[in-house]
Amino acid sequence: MFVLSQIEHNLPMPPHLLSRPLVDAIKAELERLFLDKVVANLGLCVSVYDIRSVEGGFIFPGEGCSTYKVSFRLLMFRPFVGEVLVGKISGYDEKGLHVSLDFFSDISIPGHLMQYGTARALDGRWMLKTEDGDELYLDLDDEIRFLVSSIKYPPIPVEQKETDRAFAPMQIIGSIKGDGLGLLAWWAADEEEGEAEAEAEE
Amino acid sequence: MKIEKTNAGFLTNFEVLDFLQSRGAKTDPMGCLGAVAASECKVYEYLLKTPACNQTRESINEFVTRCESFKLTNADKLNVINWRPSSAADAYAMIEECGKRFSKDERGEACNEDERVEEFLELVKEAFPPPPPKPEAMIE
Repeated sequence: MFVLSQIEHNLPMPPHLLSRPLVDAIKAELERLFLDKVVANLGLCVSVYDIRSVEGGFIFPGEGCSTYKVSFRLLMFRPFVGEVLVGKISGYDEKGLHVSLDFFSDISIPGHLMQYGTARALDGRWMLKTEDGDELYLDLDDEIRFLVSSIKYPPIPVEQKETDRAFAPMQIIGSIKGDGLGLLAWWAADEEEGEAEAEAEE
Repeated sequence: MKIEKTNAGFLTNFEVLDFLQSRGAKTDPMGCLGAVAASECKVYEYLLKTPACNQTRESINEFVTRCESFKLTNADKLNVINWRPSSAADAYAMIEECGKRFSKDERGEACNEDERVEEFLELVKEAFPPPPPKPEAMIE
C-alpha cells in the first residue's frame, strides 16, 4: 500500500531558513510543501523518505532567496489495483459504504461491488442475505477487508455547491465481492465453525 | 516539479512502520509533537494495528525465500506479508486466482488445492509471529 516516488524539484529556499543546516532546511521546506497532500497520480504523501541530491543554489535576479535543484524520494500512500486493505466502515448512503483507514478516508464501496445478495435494509444499513436466510449487517465501525478496484484523481471542481460532498483529490473504489472479503467477523466466525466441526469429527 | 520515477519501489507495511519508528513516531499524542507530523503519527498508529507490528526483517526474508515453490507474484507476496492470512478464506482473498494456481505443486504436477493452501498457511504461520491479542480480548 506504500510506494516510493522519486521527484526532482526546483526549490526556492526562503531566507529565514538560512540559519539552519542546508539539508535540514530543505527537508523542512519539502515537508511543508508535500506532507499530507495528494499529488495527482502519485497518491497521498506520507513522509519525505530521503534526499538524494542537492544542486545549485542560484539567486535569480530580483529574488531574495536561493533556488536549489533537489532530487528526493517521497513515501506515498498509493495502493495498487488488486491490493487487499482493511479499514473501518465510517458511513453509508444509497450508493454504498464509506470506509476509513484512520489516515485516509475517501474510500467507497459501491453497491454493485458487494457480495451477491447485498441490499439495503429498512433502516438504511447495508445487509447481506445469505442462502441460509441469515441477515448479516454491515454496521458502522465494523472492520472490513476489501480489494482496491480503482483509484481516481478527480480534477478540482470549478463550482462547489453547498450540498455537495467535500471535494476529495484522491478516491479509492473498493470491492468486497469475492472469497475472504467483507467484514473480518464473517470469516473469523467461519473458522471457528470449521474448528468445531473438526473437533466433532475427532 | 518533475516526476522522475512514479514508482521507485514498493514498501511493505513493516518497512513503513520501521521508517516512521526510526524518525521518532510514538503512540503518545504528546510525544509526536516536533519529531513527526500529525499525519505521520496517524499512519503509524494504523500500522501498529496490522500484523506488521511484530514482524522483523529476518522473518520477511525467511518467508520470501521459503515461498519460492509457490510461485507467487510480487503483488501476492506483498498482500500476504502485509496481512498474514490465517485461514483458507483469507488466502483466497489475497492471492489472485488462488484455486487455479494452487492446484499444481512446484514441479507443475496436479495436486489437491486445499492441501496446498493448508501447506501455504502453515508456512505463513511458521514464518510470522502471531499477532498480539487485541486490547478488548486482553480485558476479558
